[in-house]
Order: sequence, then structure tokens, then C-alpha cells
Amino acid sequence: MSKGYRKYFGKKLIWFVVTLFFAVVLNFLLPRLMPSDPVASIVNKVIGSSTDTTAAQEMYNHFAEEFGTNKPLITQFFIYVKNLFQGNLGTSFSQYPRKVSDIIKTSIGWTLALQIPAIIVGWILGNVLGAVAAYIRKGWDKVVMPVSMFISNIPAFGSAIILLYIFAIKLKVAPVAGAYSYEMIPNFSWKFISSVIQHYQLPFWSIVLISIGGQAIGMRSMSIYELNADYVKYSRFLGIRDKKIVGYVFRNAMLPQVTGLAMSLGTSIGGALVAERVFSYPGLGSTMFGAVTSADYPLISACTLMITLMVLIVTLLLDVIYGFIDPRVKAAQFDA
Amino acid sequence: MKMRKLLALLLAAVMVCATLAACGGDSTPSTSKPAESQSEKATEKPTEKESEKATDAPSSEEAQPSSEEAQPSSEEGPVTDLPREETVYFGGLQWGVVATWNPIGVTQNNFAISAVASGSRTIMFETLYMYNFMDGSLQPLLADGDPEWSDDMSTMTVKIKEAAKWSDGTPVTATDVAKTLEVSKAIGNGTATTYGAYIDDIEVVDEKTAVFHLALNEEGVPKNPLLVKDYLVGVYVCQAAWMDKVCERNNNDASAILQDKAEDVVWSGPYTRLYDNDQKVVLVRDDNYWGQDESMWGTLPAPKYLAHALYADNAATEVAFKAGQIDVNQQFIGNVQKMWLDEKLPISTYYDDEPYGVCLGMPTGWFNMNIPVIAENVALRKAIAIAVDYPAIIENAMTNQSPSFEDVPRSLMNPTAGEQALYDHDAVKDLQWAGNDIEGAKKLLDEAGIVDSDNDGWREYKGEKITLKAVCPNGWSDWQAAMEIVASAGKEIGVEITTLYPNADMYIPDIQDPDQKDYEIFMWSPATAAPSSPWARVMGFMSKDYVGVKNNGSGNWGQYVNDEADALLKKIPTITDEKELKDAYTRLTEIYLTDVPSFSLMYRPAFFDAVNETVWTNYPSADDGRNIPPANCVSGYGIRALFELELAD
Repeated sequence: MSKGYRKYFGKKLIWFVVTLFFAVVLNFLLPRLMPSDPVASIVNKVIGSSTDTTAAQEMYNHFAEEFGTNKPLITQFFIYVKNLFQGNLGTSFSQYPRKVSDIIKTSIGWTLALQIPAIIVGWILGNVLGAVAAYIRKGWDKVVMPVSMFISNIPAFGSAIILLYIFAIKLKVAPVAGAYSYEMIPNFSWKFISSVIQHYQLPFWSIVLISIGGQAIGMRSMSIYELNADYVKYSRFLGIRDKKIVGYVFRNAMLPQVTGLAMSLGTSIGGALVAERVFSYPGLGSTMFGAVTSADYPLISACTLMITLMVLIVTLLLDVIYGFIDPRVKAAQFDA
Repeated sequence: MKMRKLLALLLAAVMVCATLAACGGDSTPSTSKPAESQSEKATEKPTEKESEKATDAPSSEEAQPSSEEAQPSSEEGPVTDLPREETVYFGGLQWGVVATWNPIGVTQNNFAISAVASGSRTIMFETLYMYNFMDGSLQPLLADGDPEWSDDMSTMTVKIKEAAKWSDGTPVTATDVAKTLEVSKAIGNGTATTYGAYIDDIEVVDEKTAVFHLALNEEGVPKNPLLVKDYLVGVYVCQAAWMDKVCERNNNDASAILQDKAEDVVWSGPYTRLYDNDQKVVLVRDDNYWGQDESMWGTLPAPKYLAHALYADNAATEVAFKAGQIDVNQQFIGNVQKMWLDEKLPISTYYDDEPYGVCLGMPTGWFNMNIPVIAENVALRKAIAIAVDYPAIIENAMTNQSPSFEDVPRSLMNPTAGEQALYDHDAVKDLQWAGNDIEGAKKLLDEAGIVDSDNDGWREYKGEKITLKAVCPNGWSDWQAAMEIVASAGKEIGVEITTLYPNADMYIPDIQDPDQKDYEIFMWSPATAAPSSPWARVMGFMSKDYVGVKNNGSGNWGQYVNDEADALLKKIPTITDEKELKDAYTRLTEIYLTDVPSFSLMYRPAFFDAVNETVWTNYPSADDGRNIPPANCVSGYGIRALFELELAD
């Protein structure tokens, strides 16, 4: 590895660490700035309306002590960081006494299984549609463009509810809720797997549909730009076959799209909130939603930390990969 | 070609991922181990080993028989399907993953565990008695016959049924009853917090006889026999041997015991855990259940499985309910009658007509006495209260699932016949109001000198325009509708009332703060129904005990003080003479309706109970003569319904 590369990667790594530090501080601080008292909520759940106010106050103090919410914010922060280094994300307020790590472990599998394939399929379909629209133009473009515009602008909850209404409620060809049949207990059988696949369809397509439009529009614009580039005209003069030229164009137009894909994959860990809520599908999105509405600091912090980490790692990887595949990127960094 | 291969690969990956997630997403069983509770302490003082345990999968030797492979009590092999005609599905009783199976722990968020005096769920753990809110009676469950009180009410004797047994076959004894209170007090759980101050201890006379010694006040009179009745229907009796085990494995650390996941718990009820994960909770019938003895039910409950899927919200639950995937649904459904009248679905409620359910609660608007203009002006409080359009609230917010204040005139009582009989209706007749009395309200304000002196359309007090906020949690749509109607009543009488809807988690600590001055009028519900009703509710409306208390979850959030009312409330728990009791409640009602420290906006069921009879039928209904309360077939005496369900044709 040349000195230039080492310097480039070193710089990227330093930025990574600095960003991570600030992200951890914000992850800790922001949820705790919310004007609410989660300890009071827990105590309410435990004792309902006890008529013995002294005992209720004792229980409040017990929980405040246990969660450390009675300590100064800075002390809480150091405890948080210390625990973080030990891989301890704390105990959830809203799902007390479950551990945050346990909650995340349960939901993350669902989120990744739903989000990653949906994002990739949406990305591939969108890019193919966009590229084809740019290349063929004429009638095809007239259909693809407006349809893409239309689809990409439907709010996510809108499309999910429409899918639910049409396929589950009216046509009754898809299940109304859950990740597998309400009459089943998970087991390795074809019946169960087919139930999982069946329940997977609506949430999956609700995400795919949303992402296709945006990707298609982006890819179309990039491709049109590239198709008019000098190297295309020059290649045509040279008599290079159209198919070959399209290959070049596609590759060049893809660069920003790849960045987009990587970023979507990075943020995917945040979960498909809308799909998860509308279809009662398990995952991190609903978990985070629940955490935010119940001011569950440890759970919010853990979820946002995961998202931050994923985005940072993906960005770092992209930078590294770009440094290799497109030396201009590295050069530009140093010029600046 | 490449693309095709890629897509094929992708689809295969999807299937594998989804299946793995489905089978591996099982949270509770995968971390199941009694020793887990020790690692919970890791939050505070994590040692390397402990924190490792907290995040890692359990070691095999620690793992209890987990429900990952759902095992029925018989030896038929793992259960994979829940046959529809053997399973009753529930909705609206559980909203998240089961946290623990610990009946002496805290916040279990468990469909099977809800130990409350208005109706403990007795499907897995059992109380001594079951509460029937239809007639206020206590029906023996683990107990044999009625409790026997000493003349001075300082002791109460409870006999245990001979047949009552734990799931491990050992008998339920008085020692279990005594130990439950003892351990609760030692670890400071909800039982101790709610009842600890009122019961000194429980004496074991013999294997089947327990004597409750009530805590006495300075005058040697029992502090509160009413709350001891609540104890009988609210607190699960737990096995002494099992509690010893839990205490031992947690080194008697209260915090660790409270958090113990209790997957090895011993139960006495008709069902036990079969499976739970982030999608559902399933209970399976214990075919060795002691209650099939003639001295109790004489039979087993009809459904083999009880299942509760976890839905994202009310909307999702309603969709599943209509689709027949939920049999018993505990959620507010606006215009529920349309489901059978318009959509012709086999859905029904306890009453065929309005109000459809049994209303036990009284969501109430509280006046904040920390605000001088409110505290100093009874006329202002009463004017607002009588001007509100209650019929509109009941029609719009509750879609008529509440009796009107003309049918059930306002007092301190809920609409049940038992409570209505507790006060003299004629004595307070002139003080009651049914709402919409704009002219009367204006007159009251004019007489009190609260007038619009600068002709801007709004009334002033001491030269300043009165500006009030009507507040309730955001997203509680029926309450928000009620607050809007209160605000428009204000406009009608020239008092500016604006609405404000903060997040519930912000709102609750705010209203529990005795010094809060942010909300002038705010909504909350006092206690619904329990053996201590209506005393506990009236305490919530007027007791001085709750004034100035920080983090007050008990009541009187408006900080209203009336010494006469307070003295009566202190006396009521020990009054045994019916007339004296009625006089006391009548006087309290007079004080309440005169001073207007708060005003109820509607009546509301404690349990919403709608059933879909596609698969199961013979649910409790008003005209069946069985006196089974519509308590979702699981709470209090409502569980009787499970033993009488029948398959629909």
C-alpha cells in the first residue's frame, strides 16, 4: 500500500472515531432531554393506584436508584460509556426487566431479513427501469417516468395501508398481520416456511414499491447525462457497438447509485417502521417506536447507536472502496 | 442471465433469513434460566463474567426446559399448530414481549399475569377469591367458603380448599398464603406497596387455615378492612417452596428477586405457558388442574390453548378481530354495533344495545387547585362543569358506549346497581347536573362577579382574562374529543379554554406532581371497581392523604382539600352499619357536587369485551342469567366463561 493510501485511510479512520464519539454523546443526551419521567411510568404499572403513598414513594426511589436517574447527568453518562465498553446496553424501562441487548437481539433478525432484500430488490428493479427508460426513451419513458414519480411520492404508510386493504381485507389473499400464521408455533416444516413467506409478501413489497420509484428517477437522470457525454459520442464515432457503450454508460451512472444503496443498507437497521406497524411485523422499527413513545432511554440510545454505527461503518467502507476503485476520489481529497 | 441468477440467489436468501428469524426470534425461552436474574444486576456493577451473561446466549446447563420447542403437558411431541377449534384467541390484553413469568416480580407485561383487585387474571396463578363486579361478590377460588371476620374486624380467617393443588402435585397450604405476604414485604413488590401497610402478618393455624392479622391504627381499630378484601381477590398465592428457591438463587437480593424471569415457576391455575416470543404468547391447559374437582368447577376449561398474538396497535387488532383471528377482544371499538348491524359479522357484546359493556370507570376532568382562579371560585368550576355538553361526549367520544348522566345521574358512584344503592338519590337531586346548562353557568359566573368587563367576549377575574387549558394525553382520541367539548363549553360561557395534548409519558409525571401549575383542567380516571369500591374511588376524588404527595399515582391530582370529607373517608373502611355507610356516602356526594373539585365526563368499561363467535360461543351476556361478568373470560370471576364455552356449529 502506498504512502498516499495509508494517509488517506488514516485520515478517514480519525474522522470515523471523532464522529463516533460525538454520536455516542448525542445518543446518550438527546433521549434524556425529553421532558418525561420513565421511572414514574414503571411505578404506575407496578402498583396502579396504591392508597399507601409512602410505600409508593419508596418504590419510586428504588427504581430511580436502580436506573440511576437520580444521579447527575454527567455521572449517568460515564456509567453509560463504561457499560458500553463492556457490551452492556442496560435494562429497558418500558419492557422492564428485559435487557436491551436481549430486545435488540430478538428484533434485529426480522428487520434485516425484511429490509435488506427489499432494499436490494427495489434498488435493482429501480435502476434497471431507470436505465432502460433513459436508453429507450419514447413511449417507455413516458410511462416509466410518471409512474415512478407517482409511486415514489406515495407516503410509505399510504402504500402499506392500501396494500393491506386490497390484498388482505378485500381480496383476502394475504394475511392481515404477523410474521407467520396466528395459528402456528415456529418449527422447521414446509407448512411453517410457506406461512412465513406468505406473511413476508405485503411488508416486503410495500418497501420495494417505495424504493423503486426514487431509484428509477435517479438512474434515468444519470444515464441521460452519461449518454450525452463526450466519451459516448466519441465511442459512437469509433463505431463501437451500442451494447458495449450501454455497458460503459451503465457503469458510470451506477457510481452515485451504489453510494445510495450503501447508505440505505446502513440506515436499514433502523427498521421499516411503517411496514412493521401496519402489518404488525416484528422488528427494530416498532421496537424503536415503542421506546420513543415510552421514553425508554436505554433502548432508544441502543437503537440509535446501532444505526449510527452501521451508517458510519458503511460510509467508512465506501470511502475505502472508492479510494481503490476511483482514484479521483482520493486525489480530490488531497487536492482540497 | 447474471441478473436472473442474482435474483434467484436473493430470493433464496430471503427465505432462509425469514425462516431463521422466525425460528430464532424467540426471546424468552432462548434466554431462559433462573440464574439470568443475577446477571440483571450487571447494569449497576458489571463484572466481566456477569456482563457477558447479560448479552450472550445461555449456557446449556443453565437453560431450563425452554418453550422454544413448545411442549404440551401430555407426551404428544412438540406442538406446531394451534387447532382453531381448540384455541381461544385474545386481543388487547398484551402489547409487547413477555418480560417475565414471575408472579411476585414487577411489570411482567404478561397476558397470564395481571394482579389487580378489579379482576386478577386467574388463568395461570390463582387468588383466594374471585371478584365479580356484576354484584360486588367475592367467589371462593383457592379459598373454601367465605372469609370469617372477628367482631372487631382485626382478624380474618380464610380456609383453603382441600382439593387445591400446585402444578407439582403438592397441596396449596396456609403456609403458601402466609409466605406470599412475607416475601412480598421483604422484597417490596406491588403487593407490599399496595397492601403491606394494612396487614401485619398472616398466621398459619393449620395446613388449610390462615388468619390475617390486620394492621391497627392508634385507636386500636383496623386501618382498612376494605383493602384487605382487595387483597383476597387481587394477590396471587404463590408456592412457598418455589419462593424459597427464588430467594435462594438470588441470594435474597430484593432487586434480583423482583427481576427473576421465573421460568421454573409453579402454578395452580388451569393453564400454563406453552410458548412465547415476539409474535405471540400461548398457554396450554393443564389437564391435571385441581379445579376439575367437584368442590370447584367440576370440569376443565373448554379450550385447550389460549393464545394472544402481539399486534402493533388498536387498528391492527380490530382488523384481526373482524377477520375472525381474535375471539375475545379487549379494546375500545367506536360504533361497535356496526360490526353486527352493518357488516353482519358474528360479533357481539355483553349488552345487545347501548351501552354494550358494563361501565365501571369514570374518566374525569380535574380542576387544578394550585391555580388561584380555580381554587378561589367554586362558581367557575361549577359553571364549566354544568355547561359541558355531556351527551355530545357520550355520543361522539364514546359512541354511546356509556350511559348518559340523565340515565345515571352524577355522583361518586359508577353505574353498577350495587354502588348506586349506596347513596340517597333524593338528597342530592338538586345538586346534580346533566350538562348543556349554558344559561345556568352564565348566571353562576355573573353572580360571582366573574364578568366580561372589557367587552372582548371573555370574562375576567380580578381584572385579568381567565385563560385555561384542558389537557389529556395525545392519541387518546376519545379523551381528546371530550376535552374539545369542554373547550367549546368554555367558549359558550365566555371562559377561554384551549386544549393541549402532550405525550402520555410527559403528561403522567406532570399530573402526579403536586405542585404542577401547567394544566388547569386535566383528565384522568379514578379507580374502577374492586371490593374496596366505591371507597377507593372516593379517596381518589377527595382524600387529603394524596395532597402534596410527590409522584402521586393514587388520586386527588387536583389537590382538593376538605376536612369533613377526609374525616368521613377515614371512617368508612370500618363502618359496618349499612345506614351509617349510606349516610356517609350521601354526605360525601353532597360535598363533592357542591365543591366540584372535578367532574366526570363519561362512564367507561373497565374491560372492553367484544367477542367474535365464529368458532366459540356461549360467552357471557346480559340476559343469560349466569351472572358471569364480561371480563374477557380471564379476569376475576369472568374466568368461569372459559369452563362454559362451546364450539359454534
